[in-house]
Amino acid sequence: MAELAHEAGLEHAHPEHESTGVENRKLGMWLFLSSEFLFFGALISNYLLYSNRGGFSGVYPAEVYDIPFTSVSSFVLLMSSLTMVLAHNAQSREDHNGTRTWLFATAALGSVFLGGQVFEFTEFIVGHDMTLGTNPAASAFYVLTGFHGTHVAIGVIMLLSLWGISRRRGGLSDKHGLNLELVGLYWHFVDIIWIVIFTVVYLLSVPPA
Amino acid sequence: MTATADRPTTTIFRRPSSTTGLWSWITTVDHKRIGIMYGYAAFTFFIIGGIEALLLRIQLTQANAEFLTAGAYNALFTMHGTTMIFLFVMPTSAALMNYMLPLLIGARDVAFPRLNALSWWIFFFGGIFLYSTFIFGTSAAPVGVDGLGGIDGNLAPGGGPGSFNFLADSPDAGWFGYQPNAGPLYSPGTAMDYWALGLQIIGLASLVSAVNFLVTVLNMRAKGMRLLRMPVFAWMTTITSFLLLFSLPIIAVALFMVTFDRQFGSLFFAATNGGDPILWQHLFWLFGHPEVYILILPAMGIVSEILPTFSRKPLFGYSAVVFAGAAIAFLGFGVWAHHMFSSGITPVAQAAFGLATMTIAIPTGIKIFNWLGTMWMGRIRLNAPMLFAIGFVAMFTIGGLSGVTHAVVPSDWQQTDTYYIVAHFHYVIFGGSVFGLFGGLYYWFPKLTGKVMSDRLGKVHFWLMLLGFNLTFGPMHWLGLQGMVRRTWKYAPETGLEPWNVAVTVGAFIIALSILVFMINWFTSRRRGQESGLDPWDARTVEWMTPNPTPEYNFAVPPVVTSLDHFWHLKYDEDVEGRAVRKDDADEIVASIEHEQLHPASPIHLPNPSYFPFFFALGLPLVFYGVIYHLTLWGKALILVGAVISLAAVIGWAIEPLEEPHLQSKGHEGAGDAEEALTDG
Amino acid sequence: MSSPEHIHHPSPAQYWKIAVVLAVLTAVEVAMFYINRAYDLGPLNTLLLVILATLKFVIVVGWYMHLRFEKSTLSRFFSGGFILAAALYTIVLTALGVIAIRGG
Repeated sequence: MAELAHEAGLEHAHPEHESTGVENRKLGMWLFLSSEFLFFGALISNYLLYSNRGGFSGVYPAEVYDIPFTSVSSFVLLMSSLTMVLAHNAQSREDHNGTRTWLFATAALGSVFLGGQVFEFTEFIVGHDMTLGTNPAASAFYVLTGFHGTHVAIGVIMLLSLWGISRRRGGLSDKHGLNLELVGLYWHFVDIIWIVIFTVVYLLSVPPA
Repeated sequence: MTATADRPTTTIFRRPSSTTGLWSWITTVDHKRIGIMYGYAAFTFFIIGGIEALLLRIQLTQANAEFLTAGAYNALFTMHGTTMIFLFVMPTSAALMNYMLPLLIGARDVAFPRLNALSWWIFFFGGIFLYSTFIFGTSAAPVGVDGLGGIDGNLAPGGGPGSFNFLADSPDAGWFGYQPNAGPLYSPGTAMDYWALGLQIIGLASLVSAVNFLVTVLNMRAKGMRLLRMPVFAWMTTITSFLLLFSLPIIAVALFMVTFDRQFGSLFFAATNGGDPILWQHLFWLFGHPEVYILILPAMGIVSEILPTFSRKPLFGYSAVVFAGAAIAFLGFGVWAHHMFSSGITPVAQAAFGLATMTIAIPTGIKIFNWLGTMWMGRIRLNAPMLFAIGFVAMFTIGGLSGVTHAVVPSDWQQTDTYYIVAHFHYVIFGGSVFGLFGGLYYWFPKLTGKVMSDRLGKVHFWLMLLGFNLTFGPMHWLGLQGMVRRTWKYAPETGLEPWNVAVTVGAFIIALSILVFMINWFTSRRRGQESGLDPWDARTVEWMTPNPTPEYNFAVPPVVTSLDHFWHLKYDEDVEGRAVRKDDADEIVASIEHEQLHPASPIHLPNPSYFPFFFALGLPLVFYGVIYHLTLWGKALILVGAVISLAAVIGWAIEPLEEPHLQSKGHEGAGDAEEALTDG
Repeated sequence: MSSPEHIHHPSPAQYWKIAVVLAVLTAVEVAMFYINRAYDLGPLNTLLLVILATLKFVIVVGWYMHLRFEKSTLSRFFSGGFILAAALYTIVLTALGVIAIRGG
């Protein structure tokens, strides 16, 4: 029997391989996401350092937050995890129309979140004169939430790509079905980082006395 | 010879199919070719970094010399360190890990071949980007900063011949880029932007590799190769990959913060505005300490392969060596602030980190004793690889001992920022990693080429390098304790440091000579070296169960592993006292393995070459050039162009299947070159 | 279908229920914020908000990311990364004085 190197789509636990039983790409995505804790951890720590340090000139982020607004956008992002998981569920049942609907919904909710971020940043910059260079606390806030937003934007691009591929081909193949699951993992991860940021950066942050 | 057959286009461009010529190297996804490219690139940077070191040494040979200006000196030690760590040692380890890992575990390639190519091309373009600072970078004196009086380190106070002043426009704030010195206020110009963004790009390459190697080890081992039957080098690759995975994101954040400070006006490290310079040190060393274990563990793995082979004994305490490696990595995450003992951290912190640092000596000692135990009562053959491995053990031990003295905090206050530290880390990185890596190159040279390197020249290389190395770095212990300060372009004659500095410089040139010998050996052996056959070293592990040079498909029939040192046990039995006795039919067994692997029973599918990793990687430095010059129109354009190229490459990649179903590789007829035409059916 | 091994997937109805739980937890968090503004609960506020965030975090990871039903290898790596990050950054923040230790 001809030896096959690797399947382009599914990875089965080859009897010829010693394996974890988790497909290569899925294992790879989980490993990558594990490393992202170190990435966002550094940014969050940085924010905690500077937001608690007194004596800076200019406004502190905690002085300008609009908690009701941010609560709504946090809720939006949280619900996008629901639509994401419904998209994955639809794909597993080969309901291609449903998959596309939920993929699009997730991308839409993610975009609404991003729009909210843009609006929020604009308010801070124009309305409260808090820019990247106002003080280290402001720098920390913008770079943390900015990188999170960048991750969301990349996620939206991936979601729309899957949606587009599904439309063009009348549905996602098994290979792309796995990719949907992987994009889902990435999306949920970005959501849980926001869960941490919403609590630590917004709800718990108090400007130093 | 390429066979171009009709194939449906699944992408905009036709799938590349050539197996010879430049284009085949640009589109290759074969781990062996990628490893070879890493190796040649890394060695080129080794030469460059070595020249940088020699220039430093010429300056330091005489007291009060002005061969280099202060500015040029700063740039050279910055680039020497950056080059040697990120562009030589890490990529040489990557070269060997790339080439050998699939072979060591009985696999055909890594888990993600295109991602593997991506890592290489990102590294390649990143290295070029970083070095382009010598052409495009600028570095000016801080202007209007109180107390500095407008000193410009680029000017030679007394003039002087050969000031190499063009170098002064390069990164000059140390390989560790301490803030705020390396920030926008004290290092205006673009040189440190090239440094920060260059490292950012290269870091990404290693992160991607780490994920790739981990999935490969976890999911693609040959049947029967349980984790605790893997060769030690495969284990060290795994552990190194975990270190990379978890430490690189930290330096990525730190480098982004520096870039934002320098380019976009943020205040992370702006001390006058409340930014905290110590934050940089924490973030840098949180990465930087695991980094040094990233530098040493692969070489430790290589030594753990060579010593048993050339002692004709199993590795003493295999499990202990593996677990000690894991322990070193784990503990290595907890000691970073030992690089900060004189930075003003609290006494409690100093004591905690000092204690933690000492504990790393334990697993390290376990490994050293196990290596000694491997050699003890072995029937030792002193071929070139073995000399380098033994040299590693000796030199690394010396470096480790000086390291333990740093762990004693008050002792470190005396040693820090002196040449004593320079001695320590060169003993562990050069005496350790570099000796180990050279051992690996000699050991596995047959796998690449089907030939062995000249053992005679190898011994000349070894002894010259050992002599030169110890003459260079040995005296530095004494020089440091006598107060010779690091990173300082000149010293006064009254210090009495000159005589030993002369010796050090002589040693450095002897090292250079030894490298020349190695290069001659490498290139002549490739051409006219003795044929190696399948098993030139009478080795123990499965990477030797396939012909040399390695066929494109690695194994026609993947091995079914039944024990640690599987290959050895196919050839040897044990007598009643546990000694190895070669089987009567061992030679036949080896010959039949060679025959079986040379003649696959049916065509073998291999992943197809791809353009997209190359183009994705190309876009990144374009974006970063644009970031540096983002205030100009063409800088903004570069960002856009680079982003579009990378995005297009990603999309093409996502659509392209890993294998075209009807492109296959024929089996080999002979152990000729590693290239084979892809044909249909 | 992406993975042959794990058979158990929550149904869409269960996913909706989980979403409701997450929404309620978020509402409670926001309410806590305003309650604390009014009555200053001190460290209790921090504790409660951290608990709520942790619950949301675990629910999304366990059910939406499906980690509860996956092979333990994945949980080990994921929690390993998290624990490493938490430990390292706690030490850094302590060293930088953000987290004060008594007698330090």
